Amino acid sequence: MKTFKDFFENKIIRQIIFILALLLIWQLLVSTGNYSELILPDLRSIGSALVESIASGEMGKHTAYSFYLIGQALGIGVVLAFILTALAMISPLIADLMKTITTIFHPLPGVALLPIALLWFGIGEKSIIFILVHSIIWPLILNTYTGFQSVSRTQLEVGRNIGLKGLRLVSSVMVPSAFPYILTGFKIAWSNSWRSLVAAEMIFGASGGQGGLGWLIYQKRFFLETAYVFAALFVIILIGITVENIVFAQIERLTVQRWGMVIRKED
Amino acid sequence: MADKVAVKNLFVKFEGEQGNVQALENINFSVKEGEFLTILGPSGCGKSTLIRAIAGFQSPEKGNITLGKKEVTEPGPDRIMVFQEFDQLFPWRTVIDNITYALKVSGVKKEEREERAMHYLEMVNLHDFARAFPHQLSGGMKQRAAIARSLALNPEILLMDEPFGSLDAQTRSILQSELVRIWQKVGSTIIFITHNIQEAILLGDRVMVMSPAPGKIKDIIKVDIKRPRLPETPEFMKLWHQLYGLLETKRFGENGAEKNMLPGKD
Repeated sequence: MKTFKDFFENKIIRQIIFILALLLIWQLLVSTGNYSELILPDLRSIGSALVESIASGEMGKHTAYSFYLIGQALGIGVVLAFILTALAMISPLIADLMKTITTIFHPLPGVALLPIALLWFGIGEKSIIFILVHSIIWPLILNTYTGFQSVSRTQLEVGRNIGLKGLRLVSSVMVPSAFPYILTGFKIAWSNSWRSLVAAEMIFGASGGQGGLGWLIYQKRFFLETAYVFAALFVIILIGITVENIVFAQIERLTVQRWGMVIRKED
Repeated sequence: MADKVAVKNLFVKFEGEQGNVQALENINFSVKEGEFLTILGPSGCGKSTLIRAIAGFQSPEKGNITLGKKEVTEPGPDRIMVFQEFDQLFPWRTVIDNITYALKVSGVKKEEREERAMHYLEMVNLHDFARAFPHQLSGGMKQRAAIARSLALNPEILLMDEPFGSLDAQTRSILQSELVRIWQKVGSTIIFITHNIQEAILLGDRVMVMSPAPGKIKDIIKVDIKRPRLPETPEFMKLWHQLYGLLETKRFGENGAEKNMLPGKD
């Protein structure tokens, strides 16, 4: 009896049961026959669309392209964010300037910048990367800067006391000490840019026959291959869950949790 | 024996929002090699400022501090500070890594680091927790680890800024006697800040009493009591009352009027 209760109290098992229930409802709705295959395809055809698009390499190609874009944007965003944060750390004047700029741009959704990006960079990769970089740098700057400011004075002095100076003090004391904040910045930057990417791709379409997952969804809808649209959505959800709940969670477990440095949330 | 640290005509001024504050005025004293000096004073007497100036974190307005023959201008591993704060260990490193990393920065050879770290961890009875992370330790254990790290670096002088100030009474008294034992064994030179009269007498060869606003030396008193010292003995109590008297006049100013005290953590 006890094991039966434990079984249902296990969080993961509960979640699996919820998901199965949702899928069952879906399938029941489809089986009523009230909805066209174009609106609500049944699970089997979504499944086979998924398998088929993976087997043909189509899904892989588009996923890889999405990652290629986001990887580029992350690279540029991280470098920019760290340069700007470093400048802000050096001079209080630049710090105030940075704070003002961050306050203005941080609440602005990347997709809202699409028309401007189109005017400035034309249709294609550059515009998407521009939008992704926008959605990456502000949360990263905000969190890194807060993190650097919250570095314990004692730890900094211990660092200087044992003989650390300049860049070595930054990399050996300030960065690890601010790491919980930097990691939070990365999490927000990732989820912002991932959402912006899918949205931007749909509006831009692709240049030269290439496109990411957002483009794939758009294309499949155009050809009324609804099962493929849901298959692509499934992949997007899967990537989101994997990165946020597995990759970041694992990094967190190995670093801030292990070090007892979890940021206490105010609320 | 030779002077290890000499402080001459030291003045320190803070430029704060409420105007300039004279934190230290005309401080003169020296510490001999192997000596244990305790600095006793009420909050705001500038004792923390003084030890921070010796560590090189606070630059003087006038006067100078010499360590051996060198003048102190910046922080360095020849003067290692033990802080009151429990977060002085790097939380992302294990206890032993905190020590070996400090040794690495100061240029100790790789083969030597681990052994030396372990030696000092054993000295402070923390060898069983070498692989633990700081957040898994109690306050007292963190301070032990910080002391082990300081000793391992083999500094010319140990600067201790109320390291036991945040501990409960029992842990505090255990660490006090262990510190004396370690000091007698290693023979380091120590400056130890405290606002606790009993602690000042228990530990120091001499007690330097400071008075606030501006921070000055009131008196330096030699402690002629054989170790281990017991607070119940008449000579201990006599000295306690003498020091208490010295502090009392300062707390309320020379004429009994309360004086402005410096804001600050000491």
